[in-house]
This record gives sequence, C-alpha cells and structure tokens, in this order.
Amino acid sequence: MTEFMFLMAAAVLGSVALGLWRVVRGPTRADAMMAAQLVGSGGVAVLLLLSHAMGRAHLVDVALVVVLLAAMVSVAFVRRLGPVRGDDGTE
Amino acid sequence: MSGDTLVLDLVLAGLLVFLAWRLLTLSDLFKATVLFIVFGVLLSLAWVRLNAPDVALAEAAIGAGVTGALVLDALRRLDARGPADEAQPLRLNLPRLVGALLVMGLGAFLLWSVLSLPPGWRGLSSETAAAMPRSGVVNPVTASLLNFRGYDTLLEIAVLMLAVLGVWTLNAEPMPPAEPAGPILDVLVKALLPPMVVVAGYLLWAGGHAPGGAFQGAAVLAAGGILLHLARPFNVANRGVVRLVIGFGFAVFLLVGLTLATLGGRFLELPERHAGILILMIETAAMISIALTFVVLFVGNARDNAGRDTS
Repeated sequence: MTEFMFLMAAAVLGSVALGLWRVVRGPTRADAMMAAQLVGSGGVAVLLLLSHAMGRAHLVDVALVVVLLAAMVSVAFVRRLGPVRGDDGTE
Repeated sequence: MSGDTLVLDLVLAGLLVFLAWRLLTLSDLFKATVLFIVFGVLLSLAWVRLNAPDVALAEAAIGAGVTGALVLDALRRLDARGPADEAQPLRLNLPRLVGALLVMGLGAFLLWSVLSLPPGWRGLSSETAAAMPRSGVVNPVTASLLNFRGYDTLLEIAVLMLAVLGVWTLNAEPMPPAEPAGPILDVLVKALLPPMVVVAGYLLWAGGHAPGGAFQGAAVLAAGGILLHLARPFNVANRGVVRLVIGFGFAVFLLVGLTLATLGGRFLELPERHAGILILMIETAAMISIALTFVVLFVGNARDNAGRDTS
C-alpha cells in the first residue's frame, strides 16, 4: 500500500509537471500562471499522499499552507499582471 | 532510500534541476518568475522527502508564497518602466566585482567549514535530544531556534527590520493606481482572510510540538495582509505605530534575554521551569512583527505625502 502511494505521488508529480510546457510556450501570461497553480494543486495532492505513505500526519499542515499561499499568489498575479491589464504588448 | 520511493525521488530531483536551469536561462522575466514559484513548491516537497517538515513549511510559506508575490509585484513595477529594462546587460564594474568576490569568498569559507568537519561526525542531534527535556518544548527545531540558539533567531529578526529600513529608504517605482476590486475578489478575501488568521495562530501554537513556529505563522498572516492590500490598497507608511509593531518582536526577545541576565542567569539562557511560556511569548511577539514586516516589504515605500516627486 505504501509503495502504491509513493508511485501515485510520482505519477501526480509527473503529470502536473507536463503543464510546465505551458509556462515556456505561453502564449499568454495567464496560461503560464495556470500551469504554476496546477503544480500547486498537484503539490498538495503529493503532500497528502506522502503524509499517509511516510506516516507523518503533520504534512497535512504543509498542504494547508500551500493551498492558502497559492490562492494569495494567484490574486497577486491577477491584480498586478493580470491579462486584463496587458499593457506591455505581450498579450 | 528504498526502492518504493525511488521513482518519486528521481522525478522530484530531476524536475528541480531542470527548473533551476530553465529559470536561470530564460530571458523572459515573467516566465522565470512563474518557474521560481513552481521551484519553491517542489523544493518544499524535497524537504519533506529529506525528513525536514519544518523547512518544508517555511519554504512553502516564505519561499514560494510570500517571495512569489513579492517578485510578481517587482515585475509589475519593472513593466511600468518598459520592456527595455529587461534586456539591460549587467556590466562588471568595481562594486559588482567586490560584491562577487565577497560572496564567492563566503561560499569558499562555508565549503571549507563543511569539509573540515571530522569524518563520520553525526551532527549535534544526540546533544539536542539529550537537552530536549530542559528546553520547554517538544519540537527539537523550535527548541534549537528559540532556546539553544536563541542568538541566531534574535539576529534574524533584526535582519528583517533592516530590510524594512532598506525598503523605506529606497525610492522604488510607485505603483500605478489599481482598479477597484470586483465582486469575486471581495468574496475571496472574505472567505480566505479568517482561515489565514486561524492557521497562522495554529502554526504558532503547533511550533511547540510539531512543525510550525513564528516565521511560518507570520508568512501565512502576512499572506492575509497582502491579499487585503491587493483587494483594497492600504498604506503602511513609515509611522510611529508601524515602527513600534515592527520592532515589537525584537524588543520582547531582547527584553527577555536582558531580564534573565539581570536576574542572575545568562543572556538568552531560558530557565527550565519557564522556558515553554517564554518561548511562546517570544514567538507570538515575533510572529506579529514578522508578519507586518512582510506586508511592509510588499507594499513598499508608499508615498502618500505630497511634496515628494516621483520622477
């Protein structure tokens, strides 16, 4: 069971990492940011899996912090560099 | 490392090296910023795999979260100056050369000190474990940071105060006025702010017996402040009250140390009977100060007073 969870964690990590392609290719800044948010969500899933597999309950706290901070970072992106504002011609 | 964790660890390590390489070589600062945030999240996972959940928590909260928002904000201010700013090559001049040599010298010194450790040295973990019953807390990381090595933490808090001084001294690019927040952002702030405050308090309390502590709690609390600032920009100008709160954590820490010294003990040597409550006191004060420090670093040098030209 533990081995299965480690493998699942690796599978989650590998699949969200494919989203990093969008960071490099774009085309818009929002695409890149969404890929980063996807890694954040995937990271939470990996943390929850590891919490069980490694037998460390407090890893859930790390997952909780990632969730709260990722929400804040996405708001920072929208308010500071959001696609609506697109003032530097990259959109 | 056993076989069942090998795949995960290899994927994680490979991704980290790939990200580090890409974010240093990309010429587009925005893409590099996004990769930096992703790097922070994955680095936090790596710390988890290295059995250092305290560091993982700090990396997720400060490295990926607060620093990510700070870098995005800095990018916005750079954008306002035009894309030409991004392409400016850094020339090697005398101050940069001196700086580079200093940093490389420090790196060499650190490398030398690691290499000069006796072979087979197990670190200080057995000494720490032996002293744990006298530390007042159960979490060895908190015991090291606040009790055994209180000096380091005291000076770290002082460094953060210096960073605020630097921000207030610099004439950073002023932030263009933001549009009013939409209804979605309003709802998000209302939904996220209370849990952020609760989680910050929880992390502070948990620091005594599990991963957590003042810095991690402060990062979550500051994230709430930054969120509020993004929705409804407010000013944390260089005023008396703000300065008082920023200095509060350092003052409490110093005061505890000096009181202990005058009462016959040694500076920052926490007495066994009261160590637990003293650590909680210091950490609470430090969390409030550090949180406001992070918010001030994000808000920057808000020039609300007329008479200072922005040009």
